[in-house]
Amino acid sequence: MAFMKNYWIRRILSAFLVLLIILILNFVLFRMMPGDPVSSIIDPKFSPEAKAQLRKVYGLDLPLSGQFLVYARQMLTFNFGISFLTQRPVWEELSSRIPNTVVLLGSVLVLSSVIGTWLGIKAAVRRGTWVERFVLWGGAVSFSFPSFFVQLILLFFLAYLFPLFPLRGTVSIPPPSGGATALADYLWHMCLPVFSLVLLGFGGWALYVRNLMVKEMGEDHILLARAKGLPDRKIIWKHGFRTILPPIITIFLLALPGIVSGAVITETVFSLHGVGRFLLESVTGHDYPAASAAFFLLALLTILSNLLADLAYGLVDPRVRFEKRGRG
Amino acid sequence: MKRWSFLLLILIALTGITAPLLRGADPEMEVAPPFSKPSWLGKETSPTLTVLLDNETLQKRIDWHYEKPRHYKIKGRIQFSGTPQEASLIWETPEKQYILEDLSGYYDIIINLDARDITFKLNLGILPFENAIDTLFPSKGDYGLLLISDVPVGSMELELKLEGDKYGLLGTDQRGRDVFSLFLLGIRVSLIIGISATLIASFIGLSMGLVSGYLGGLTDALIMRGVDVLLSIPILPILMALAAVWGKGLWQLVLILSLFSWMGTARTVRAMTLSLRESCYIEGLKGLGASPLYILYRHLLPETLPLLLANIALGVPGAILAEASISFLGLSDPRVISWGRMLHEAHSFGAFSNGAWWLLIPPGFGIALLCLIFLDIGKYLEELVDPRLKGEKLE
Repeated sequence: MAFMKNYWIRRILSAFLVLLIILILNFVLFRMMPGDPVSSIIDPKFSPEAKAQLRKVYGLDLPLSGQFLVYARQMLTFNFGISFLTQRPVWEELSSRIPNTVVLLGSVLVLSSVIGTWLGIKAAVRRGTWVERFVLWGGAVSFSFPSFFVQLILLFFLAYLFPLFPLRGTVSIPPPSGGATALADYLWHMCLPVFSLVLLGFGGWALYVRNLMVKEMGEDHILLARAKGLPDRKIIWKHGFRTILPPIITIFLLALPGIVSGAVITETVFSLHGVGRFLLESVTGHDYPAASAAFFLLALLTILSNLLADLAYGLVDPRVRFEKRGRG
Repeated sequence: MKRWSFLLLILIALTGITAPLLRGADPEMEVAPPFSKPSWLGKETSPTLTVLLDNETLQKRIDWHYEKPRHYKIKGRIQFSGTPQEASLIWETPEKQYILEDLSGYYDIIINLDARDITFKLNLGILPFENAIDTLFPSKGDYGLLLISDVPVGSMELELKLEGDKYGLLGTDQRGRDVFSLFLLGIRVSLIIGISATLIASFIGLSMGLVSGYLGGLTDALIMRGVDVLLSIPILPILMALAAVWGKGLWQLVLILSLFSWMGTARTVRAMTLSLRESCYIEGLKGLGASPLYILYRHLLPETLPLLLANIALGVPGAILAEASISFLGLSDPRVISWGRMLHEAHSFGAFSNGAWWLLIPPGFGIALLCLIFLDIGKYLEELVDPRLKGEKLE
């Protein structure tokens, strides 16, 4: 198949493969749970005919593969069914939460990658200075401290002892009126969650970038650039940083699932109105349609960012576009 | 130089093993009022004290140089050897004596006094809405609890409980349990889950890596695709769902954690097997007609083992952190005390509004310390396997 040689098509196809596996996993996970969607509605007093009718409506009379197809179609069209707990469509519950999670994830990814990369390069260029020590310490802390513990401590000091930030929630109660005040209030609430995740994320990031950059700065082409008398800034950014850009995107890919997992915890600690906390609430409340929808959405967010990073990889590293087999 | 982490780990493990034996009392027991402070905090803060009277000691003195306590309770039973004409239970303050209970004419009496009761207050001669503690503890000084009677006491068991604001090394939690003993119990869970989950995961990863690397072809492609997919989706949501479906027990959690953390090991082992597969002695073995199973078991496995050991040590922190996250989200067994569970309870049951930092700091630092120890041991083992790594700092 000639078109399989095209890097872009291969990456998109592999994203679809992951999506398929997610769907299967989701189906298995939430169908394994005791009770199917109908048993929660069925009253023992229902006649057998009525029960059979209900099962037919929900597609439970089909064989497992047929059920999976129905399920997959529902998931892909965001038709998640009715929540057991609130008796409202799950999508209605979820749609108001998606923006919060996207804002949280997006700002954390951008901030920690930019700060981490910048600090990592500074640490690699100025070895032995406080920047390097700071990066090494930040890395050690981010590897060993549980994220929620650091967030609880931040919350304790910055929201309880010195109430600079709100203790919980995404908006004040009562919500402020007016566009500018509402936006300011929202940003004020998102400050601590974003800050804490960046604090936890940049260390590991900077450490990786530092190690890559230290190795790169010892390469011959950097020596050549120095010999040509190029200014430091140009050597670092045009010759050093440009070469380590592909592995940096690989780090991004590897860090992504962890950051999404971190968002679930963060939303719980700060009681944010997001998809992650919704997942926890529905899992603990045995609200399976809601839990499966939230899980699916989180996975979908990850796959999309993964795909974006993959495409960016193809842009910054032209070699992979012409290779017969992609990486991995 | 690297020995400190081994020593510390042994010390922690011993504490974890002996902690449940050392503490005779049930850690679930309420020992002091909720959110008592650690006792080394503030000299003036009132402690939680228990004073016992029995037929040998009819009088106990208390040197009280603290603030007023929160609660004042007396419980017990007195049996006289005859019916006393005049007997009473007396509380002596530095200024005045109060008769807590007039026992005249009773042969056998059960005592149950609480300073919050209205009858108790009326007995002291104060109004029902006044605080009896203010009357019972007017100043710092020498206090006494004594029983006087004109007939000898047959048998007596009397317990005065003064509930203050501080208790033990690390205070108490929202249910009045001793945080220090909970903290010690948490060691066990973190170690058990961290080590056993990593062992199982390493075993899975080892088999997957060996098979995938040695057999190659379609098997390899399938396994490695699976690894790629598992590495590119967030694991915590899956763990949450599984913890909710499969139940919350300790061993279910171990199984769930190990099912989703073998991927790194599989990759490492596969890479190593791939390079070994092409080496001459394996070629020779093949030529001699050795079966793939024999080659895998007798030659490839021992080669990968040292690396695997380092991998196990480096994998433990991940499992410990994952367990802590699941427990923190409240998805663990509520009867199993773990550090994550302690943080969950601190977060959900008002440690913040009570300023109870002693519920946050010990479990958090406990987790971090254990993780750092295992990271350090892992680095050490890695250097043993590959001495070239020596001298590189945290890389």
